[in-house]
Amino acid sequence: MSSFPKTSFFSPSRVSIIAASTVTQLVRMKVFLFLAPVALLFVALNFFELPIYQGPDTLVPEQQLRTHKNLCLGTMMFFTSLFAIVSVALIIPSDVEDRTLYTILCKPVPRLDYLAGKLLGVILVLLMAMLVMDFLLVVTLHHRTASISTDFGRYLSDLGFKEAEVARGQAELAKHGPTWVLQYGVMAHFFKACILAAVALLISTFSTSTLFTIAAGVMVWIIGAFQSIARDGLFVDSFAGETPSLADKILSTIISLIFPDFQLFESIADASVRAQEILGDDILKLGGLTLIYLAIYTVLSWFVFADKEF
Amino acid sequence: MSDVNAIEVHELIKDFKGPFRGHSVRAVDQVSLQVKAGEVYGLIGPNGSGKSTTMKAVLGLIRPSSGSCSIFGRDALKVDSRNDVGFLPENPYFYKHLTAAETVRFYGKLCGMRGQALRQRIDEMLELVGLSEARNRPLRGFSKGMLQRIGLAQALVHDPRLVVLDEPTAGVDPTGSREIRDLILNLKSRGITVFLCSHLLEQVQEICDRVGIMKSGTLVKEGRLEDLISLRDRTELILEHAPEDLLTQIRNLVEVTHGAHLLSEAHPRTTLEDLYLDETRDHSKSAHS
Repeated sequence: MSSFPKTSFFSPSRVSIIAASTVTQLVRMKVFLFLAPVALLFVALNFFELPIYQGPDTLVPEQQLRTHKNLCLGTMMFFTSLFAIVSVALIIPSDVEDRTLYTILCKPVPRLDYLAGKLLGVILVLLMAMLVMDFLLVVTLHHRTASISTDFGRYLSDLGFKEAEVARGQAELAKHGPTWVLQYGVMAHFFKACILAAVALLISTFSTSTLFTIAAGVMVWIIGAFQSIARDGLFVDSFAGETPSLADKILSTIISLIFPDFQLFESIADASVRAQEILGDDILKLGGLTLIYLAIYTVLSWFVFADKEF
Repeated sequence: MSDVNAIEVHELIKDFKGPFRGHSVRAVDQVSLQVKAGEVYGLIGPNGSGKSTTMKAVLGLIRPSSGSCSIFGRDALKVDSRNDVGFLPENPYFYKHLTAAETVRFYGKLCGMRGQALRQRIDEMLELVGLSEARNRPLRGFSKGMLQRIGLAQALVHDPRLVVLDEPTAGVDPTGSREIRDLILNLKSRGITVFLCSHLLEQVQEICDRVGIMKSGTLVKEGRLEDLISLRDRTELILEHAPEDLLTQIRNLVEVTHGAHLLSEAHPRTTLEDLYLDETRDHSKSAHS
């Protein structure tokens, strides 16, 4: 019989067990069904002409591809962000309500392991969903780019451009197709969804209802998207060139500490849609920032959850 | 057997704060009890008497307002103490998407079990609770009794020295209830300590070595079952080889009733149920009525 083996403060092995269970739970809950409308939308976008596009002479072909990417990335961002919030909001309160949590916490499982495992599980499912959507995006965009490129090449040839000039034009157009830069945009949205999952984790540690967790999570999502603009507008009158007061600075800092700032993530995603150059350093910074946010919200969740009574 | 008590609750007080800093409610008031290693201890009491709160404090799910709880000498709030505890909550719900075998595997892994040892233990546990046939069925199709049994399997998977059972036979049919009773007796025979809360007093009487009765957050009676249910103001005698004169007097009395035989005189016993009802009756109400 056992006699008190030492339980480590944090065990990656236990975290992975809880994460694997969470993945199985979400997969068997058939959460991936939400990918069906996404796939349908992506495919539909590929086969139907957008109203703004009436042929290569009415709209620059790059704009056509940008619009396609914008809609696809926007859809991916919307679904993954919502999925991140809703899945966390569903699984943790249901563990408490069903008393499944009792049986887990009555095993030698530190509460930090439980929280980290749940978060990791949701992130893994998000990653799987993102990879599927990314694959669909690449396939449909590749098809779209090829189609528009052919149209564009024919259009330029009809206008009397030489073959080399047509090829150059098509090469320029290909930059707006499925490139690595586009993948950076996908990564930015994935990172953002991970942060939202961590925010929902924090909220669910003190919230008593799923609905409140979802509503509060969505609110943080919206605030995060607009907070830098709002901070500039409310606390710093940049147009008038005024220096912000100390109170404004403090309030602005508090808001930026409480709510995640998604401005950088949005900028990277926008740049990827516009096929602008994105430095690897920027992505590393974005990844680092995501890890910092994840660590902060997980530790805060742990502080709240550690003393929670069931 | 170790001298250290399996459970030691020392002057436990638990207050629950009311909303908006309102009046706090004292759920458990100065409760002290010890459960010796290897014994079966039953905690009984009416709803709201503080049994579950005491049990949760023992399991470290709630923090005492004052006092302490320990498991085999280790503070119950420490995660380490749970290495030797198996817990079956009342009406347990497990992950419905998992099968019976996956559920036991999940809890076994949480306890650090791996590989062949875990696989073997899963088979043993499913066999023990009679769910070998249903090992690959998802729990969503399980009856209440089957869930209770899978709950027992997960509680025992890591071979704990202490098993805490909250209403282990709630919602279970009489046969299943009897099987669980036999299982508890089997645990006892293997030297495993059992701490249980139950409303089935007959069953508690059958299997417990000691009981504690709680009422309004306090432990109103505690001790060995045999001692508690003996009525010491009466005497039961079994007459054998008694002096003739005494026997004659008794016989004279008995003889007036045709076919009656006086065989014994002893401490008559009440039932645990009567004791329970007596201890938990609201005396103020009965005084008024």
